[in-house]
Amino acid sequence: MGAGAAPRLRSLIDCRLIIVTGKGGCGKTTVATALALAAAETGKRVALAETGHDEHCPQLIDPTAPAVGYQGRELRPGLEVLHIRPFDALVEYLGLQIGMQALVERGLRQPAFQQLLAAAPGWRELITLGKVYYMESLQRDARRPEYDLIIVDAPASGHGLTFLDVPRVVQSAIRSGPLRRNAGNVEALILDPGRTRLLPVSLAEELPVNETVELIDRISEQVGVPIDRAVMNRVAPSPYGDANDARQLETRLAELGDDADATACDVLPAPDVMAQCCAWRRERFELGARYVEQLATRTSLPLFEVRDRLEGIEGPDTLLEIGRQLLGTTPNGRDAGE
Amino acid sequence: MSEKPTPEEIVGSHRIVVCVGTGGVGKTTVSAAFGMLAARRGLRTLVLTIDPARRLADALGIETLGNEPKRVRLPADALEAHGDIELHAMMLDPKGTFDGLIERFSPNEDIQRQILDNPIYQHASGALSGSGEYAAMEKVLEMSESGDFDLVVVDTPPAQHVLEFLDAPRRLVEFLDSRLVKLLVHPAMAAGRWSVRMFQRPVQGALQLLERVTGVGFLEDLSSFLLAIDDLSDGFKSRAARIESTLLGPQTAFVLVAGPSREATRNAGVFLDHLEDMRARLRGVVINRIRQWPGEEPAADALLRDEIPGAERRQLADALGDANAADAVIDAVRDFACVANQDTRNVEPLTRYAETNRCFFRRVPEQRRDVHDLDTLDQITAALAHSEEKLASP
Repeated sequence: MGAGAAPRLRSLIDCRLIIVTGKGGCGKTTVATALALAAAETGKRVALAETGHDEHCPQLIDPTAPAVGYQGRELRPGLEVLHIRPFDALVEYLGLQIGMQALVERGLRQPAFQQLLAAAPGWRELITLGKVYYMESLQRDARRPEYDLIIVDAPASGHGLTFLDVPRVVQSAIRSGPLRRNAGNVEALILDPGRTRLLPVSLAEELPVNETVELIDRISEQVGVPIDRAVMNRVAPSPYGDANDARQLETRLAELGDDADATACDVLPAPDVMAQCCAWRRERFELGARYVEQLATRTSLPLFEVRDRLEGIEGPDTLLEIGRQLLGTTPNGRDAGE
Repeated sequence: MSEKPTPEEIVGSHRIVVCVGTGGVGKTTVSAAFGMLAARRGLRTLVLTIDPARRLADALGIETLGNEPKRVRLPADALEAHGDIELHAMMLDPKGTFDGLIERFSPNEDIQRQILDNPIYQHASGALSGSGEYAAMEKVLEMSESGDFDLVVVDTPPAQHVLEFLDAPRRLVEFLDSRLVKLLVHPAMAAGRWSVRMFQRPVQGALQLLERVTGVGFLEDLSSFLLAIDDLSDGFKSRAARIESTLLGPQTAFVLVAGPSREATRNAGVFLDHLEDMRARLRGVVINRIRQWPGEEPAADALLRDEIPGAERRQLADALGDANAADAVIDAVRDFACVANQDTRNVEPLTRYAETNRCFFRRVPEQRRDVHDLDTLDQITAALAHSEEKLASP
């Protein structure tokens, strides 16, 4: 799409785990939810895991949906949405390790332990990824996994690097024991090119592009989670004709300002206001196009462009449309053969 | 109306301005503009960013930022227009700051080395999340008390929850004070003081559980780290208490930065609740990158509903001599009218909040260029300084 000679891509739909990240405000929650809706539509069993402080995904799918919580809920056939809260994940993990969940929970709720947890760094990231690892390992029966595809709405890129780097850090900090082993398992999953993709989401603006480039560089150097494409979200629609046509149109509109006949409108504003609106649209497009190109050159990654919907994402239909585009599936759920 | 402070009054009457808000709203740019505003008033100003991305350097047009304040050099024409200003910027290096704290509070070099070489410390202070917030708040206080600056503007990290960093000093104190830490550090003493079974049993259980899950090496490291840091903890505790009282005291003003989108304004509302819970002093609300309708008259309702009379469409097509061009113009006009209208509607709750809570309220229009030079930053500074009454549309 944006990047010219794209290497042959494994379709995202064949992954077991897609980790969506990006600078705050780039729309990574939107992209994660869109992917999940479109993947579930193809008949796959999909889990959409939100990792932030609050829940946003369920409301995107159904504005009236109550919170799904840590246990999660099936919001569409084959689409389970859950909110990975670190504390709940820790209770579950320790409960599974020790076998007495209620007792574990009572122990962890001790004020002393709560204070330790509040201050201790790193465990939230590790336990969140641990939960993802656990979900990936679940089997529905002997031949089929519980979830065909797990989509994680990961923390924003500033924290995203820390998030993905924790398994490595834990292994270098801890010499032996089950925690080290678990961190190793988690790392093996997130580094596996046969199962996992990290999907960075950017906007066609300077700072998001810089941050995305930095994130991709550092993930590649430091962590090694496979990245084979990026999403450019909210790309401005093209104006009238090419840049020259658009500019000429603005000039002609400005000239109309003197023409009494052309200005006698009730609904349309004065020609000079119309000219400003056209200039706004052209400048947005030009600025955006420059950054689309920059991201493509600086990362050498194929970019999937998502067109800007000016009035915001209105409901699951638009999301489904975006998700199909990103997964390369058609409305009936078949592979579009990209 | 008159009791609402202006941004100029806020920078003039506080020592610290903390810009808070969710990610992606241009907080760094607004922080830089506040720094510029203060520096223009003759204040020696420092803008401190906690963001690992190099946004502040971008916005101020300087190459790199480090853990030491760096003075912003104005280009010649700016010097001529406004005179020189004392504006400094720095980017926090959490690990360096944390190491500095350990050095300061260690009673001797032995303990200092024990801590700095401890694997738990090495990872906790540098690579893992959370420690950046401790270090950030510490640096704010250090810089504010250094005497080198009249005002420190803090660009906070993009947190979803304002408590994540405001609460960092308190969490550190609570942690150092916690019974679990005492038990790890001084088991005998702890057992003596809390021999009550109710407490001891679960904690010992928890410790055994931790050992089983984590492996012994980790606990040994943790325990020796805590033992070493215990010698420092009085220093940390009084420091953390000072940080908290400074941030929540009268010399600190909080400014909420929000975007005009529905999601951004909704998130801003959540932020306001958190700030109120913390009893932080919110003094201003800035809506960044709002789209403002360029016409003197507001956009017609029919335009917003995309009900353009056929006659007007034909008239425009005739005037331009091209029906396709007329359609493209109408699309652009309708789109802009809709986004501007949407933005205005979205920010209404925040406008009301500012009104009733005696905060200043400023709208910074969307810039047609990226903010990576001082010229564009100037325009944002001007929008902050501009009185909202004059800016407001009917």
